[in-house]
This record gives sequence, structure tokens and C-alpha cells, in this order.
Amino acid sequence: MGLKQNKNISNIFTYIILSVASLLILLPILWVIRTSFASELIAYEIPPKLFFVPTLKNYIELFGRLGFGSFLKNSLIIAIGCTVVSVPIAALGGFAFTRYRTGGTTLKFSVLATQMLPGIILVLPIFVIFNTIHFTNTYIGIILAILSFNLPFLVWLLMGFFEGIPKDIEDAAAVDGATPWSTFFRIVLPITVPGIMSASILSFILSWNEFLFALLLTGNNTKTITVSLSAMVTHRGTLIGILSAGTIIAIIPMILLSIFVKKYLIEGLTFGAVKG
Amino acid sequence: MKTLAQQKKRTGLFFISPTVLILILVVLVPLIFSFVISFFNYTLVDPSFDRFILFKNYSTIFQDTYLWNSLKITLIFVFTVVPLEFVLGFFIALLLNRNIRFKGLFYTILTIPMVMSPVAVGLIWKMFLHADLGIVNYIFSVFNLPSVNWLGSNKIALLTIILVDIWHQISFMILILLAGLKSLPKEPFESAKIDGASNTQSFFYITLGLMRPVISVAILIRVIFSFKTYDLVYTMTRGGPGVSTELISYFIYKKTFMGMDFSQATAISYVLFVIIMVIVIFLFREMSGRKWD
Repeated sequence: MGLKQNKNISNIFTYIILSVASLLILLPILWVIRTSFASELIAYEIPPKLFFVPTLKNYIELFGRLGFGSFLKNSLIIAIGCTVVSVPIAALGGFAFTRYRTGGTTLKFSVLATQMLPGIILVLPIFVIFNTIHFTNTYIGIILAILSFNLPFLVWLLMGFFEGIPKDIEDAAAVDGATPWSTFFRIVLPITVPGIMSASILSFILSWNEFLFALLLTGNNTKTITVSLSAMVTHRGTLIGILSAGTIIAIIPMILLSIFVKKYLIEGLTFGAVKG
Repeated sequence: MKTLAQQKKRTGLFFISPTVLILILVVLVPLIFSFVISFFNYTLVDPSFDRFILFKNYSTIFQDTYLWNSLKITLIFVFTVVPLEFVLGFFIALLLNRNIRFKGLFYTILTIPMVMSPVAVGLIWKMFLHADLGIVNYIFSVFNLPSVNWLGSNKIALLTIILVDIWHQISFMILILLAGLKSLPKEPFESAKIDGASNTQSFFYITLGLMRPVISVAILIRVIFSFKTYDLVYTMTRGGPGVSTELISYFIYKKTFMGMDFSQATAISYVLFVIIMVIVIFLFREMSGRKWD
């Protein structure tokens, strides 16, 4: 009896803590959504109004006068470009490290350590080099620069998935006369589809959210959402209705994507750290 | 005739070469370039390798009180956010690991911030924390609490950045630690229960013991990544008020573009590089014990 009561009390405690924590995360996001549909007058009102007639004015202004459509396009091109380039390359690289031990521990650690480098260390020399060869404000330039941390991260992530494949399957294929090439493409890749999915989603999110490289390496034709949002604050005071609308466009696609593919996302992020 | 081993070796080299080539291009070349620059008096206005000055950049930066200030602030930041994120994140992970309802819902909500761009997080909280027009101070006033100058006071701004960073990054800790808790074997807990161990005892003796590798990896990764924090400072304070939130990444940025001293900035970059690599070696030693040997 006493034990059961104890359990009930600790369950109630658990629900309370988790609800409070969830509200602390959720309410700010909901509030930004609310503000994005408020007129500038209502957005600034203190005490704030909870109920008002929603307006699309902020979004119209954002995509009309502020040209947010082209920033959205740039973010998409860069995020998709990074993913399309890095996932296949990382899959090959990760497989070479796990199965063939190519280059030994030194090469493996050197590649994996690059994702830990603070971006500022790399972006300054890249900025100067790109500037000299007129490579700033190009899609290829920013995509290449983002690969500096995206690629090693994906190699690491995919190594976890390749390690999970029993070696017997490949050995059996080799006995049957399959070349390493055909083993990789016909046998390994099909079983690693979840890994490839995780890698692609994470790569997309990482490049979409990237800021420092985009800030220095993109220009008028290639500016991303994150860069244009950060500029909105300084140039136009704080028009919080429009800023909220822009922020919503930056975060909601990623949140929906992550909920939609939660399983892959979690597998991808926890493989390296947890599975031993 | 090729043996299988030779064939494998060649395939391995072939498979790894695109990765290595790209990283040489976008990591190694820039690193060497900035290493060379750190021994010259090279500025963005006058970019030339005429003035070789050996260690002068290094000796100058170490006499710069602003660098020491920035390093101090960075260390305070890193060693405040990481322990707090760990303790809170572990606590929440333990609760999520209990047999309760709506677990999936709580988990989904609590891991949302992880996929949000730091710029968006910074902007959102900057709006909320505005001293006069922000919703946070309004809520404070409802509860008769004094209004706080979150971003405008040099005593509080760093604390504000720390709180926002915790809001943003705690999801990572929850995710990794919960995955760790879920992968723990059941048997030790069952036999401890039979032997009459209390929940507290099994937590300290079994959970913490078995979780040690996951915990150290999670903490080291967060230490490395919090050293990089840049976007939050850029969007929320630009290092201010004064220099009170000038984390090292922002300090290097400012040195380059506002101080116009690119070669000194590269010298500071190398100081940061060494710090990070030392921690990375710790991380790899921790991981290689299990995975990479």
C-alpha cells in the first residue's frame, strides 16, 4: 500500500516536471507564431493581447518588399546542394574507415576531428582565399565551405551504421566472388538505408541552420534565411511582427521535418555516442 | 593476379579519396594559410606577405587584456552551461525513462530546440527579453517581480546568454543521455532489487557506473561545441554591453572585421585551435576505449 502510494506521488512529480519543462520549450515558440500573425501595433502592445484578428500582413511584407522568397530559395539550394554532395561521399568514406581501415587510426581521427574545429578558425582564411579568387557569393563556394564540418560529421555518423552490419554478409558475398565495389553497392547500401536517411536529414538541417559561414561567404545573390534574419534587427530597428514571421519560416520546416522523421534523426544522432 | 587483400586496400583508398580531397581543400589549406599568416603582418586592407614578424602577433595578443577577458568569459560560459545542461538534461532523461504515459509527446517537445537555428533562437529571446517591450519582463511585473535589464546590463548579459544557451542545447543532453539509459542492460537492476537495494542505491552504483562512458562523451562533445558559440552572441548582444559577452569566437571575428587585424586574429585562432584539440584528444581517448580499437 505505502509503496504504491509512493509510486503515485513520484509519478505525479514526474508529470509536473515534464509538463513544466515542455511548456518552457513550447510557449516561446507558440508566442512567436502568435506574434507573426499580429499587426505591428498589437505585436508591441504591453500588456499583450491574447486574442485578436490574425493578419497575414507580416508574411506579405516579408515576401513582397523584403524579398524573403529569394533567401528561402538560397537556403534550399545550399541545404540540398550540401546534402546531395556530402552524403554519397561520406558513405564511401565511412565505409572505407569501418571495413578497410584505410589510412589507419591517424587518418580517421584527423578526418573526424575537423568537425570539432570552431567555424571561426576556418571561415576567416576561407573568406580571404575565396575573396582573392572571387569565389564569395557563389553557391558552390558556400556549399564547399559547409562541407568542412558537414562531411566529417556524416562520415562519423555513417560509420556507426556500417559497424552495425554483420561482417558475415560481406564475407559471404566475397566468397561468392563479388568485388568490394559490388558488395558495397548491392549489399551494404541497401541495408544502410536508415543510416543514409538519417545522414541526409541531419545534413539538410545543419546546412539550413548554418550562420557563420553564410554570413561571411554569401552575398546579395546567395544570402540565406539565417543571414537575412540577423540583418533585419540592425537595419530596421526591431519590427517584431515581421521578424517573428521570418523566424517562423526558418524554424517550422525543420521542426516539422524532425517530428516527421524522428526515428531516423534520433538513430543518427545517438549512434556515435551511445552504441559502443 | 590481385589478391583480395590488395583489392580491398585499393577500394578503400578509392572510397576515401573524395572525402580526403575535399577536406584538404576546405580544411587543411585554410589552416596552413592562416598558420602562415599568423607569422606575418598581414591585414585585409594591405594583404601581403612582405612583413615577416615571427612571433610578434603571438606576443602582442597575449598582452591584450581583451583577449584575456574573452578567454575568461568563454571559460565561465563553457563551465556554467555544460554542467547545468548536464544536470538538468540527465534529470529530465531519467524522468522520461520512467514508465509513464505521454512519454513520446514530452520527448518530441523537449527535443524541438535542437533543430532550431541558433540565430532564430537568439532573435526570439532577444524579442522576449527586451527590457521595456519584452514579454518576460511583463510576466515578471504580473508577479510583482522587478524588471530586469536582461541584455543591457554588463552584469547580467552573460547570464542571459547562458540561460538562452541552456534552453537551446539541453535537448542534445536529453537525447544522448536518454538513448544511453535505454541501452542499459536490465539484469544488474533486477539482481540489485532482489538483493534489497533502494532506488537511490541502484542509481548511484549501477546507473551512474554503466552510464559513465555515455556521460563523458556527451559532456566532452558539449564542451567542444560550446567553445564555438558565436551565433547567439552575434544576434543577441554583439559581445556587449562593453565586452561583457565577448566569447572567443566573436572576439576573433571582431578582431578581423572591426579591429582590421587579420594576422592577429589568426594567431588567436591558433590559441583556440590548441585548446580545442586538447579536448578532442580526451574525447577520442574516451571513445576509442569502446569503439575504435
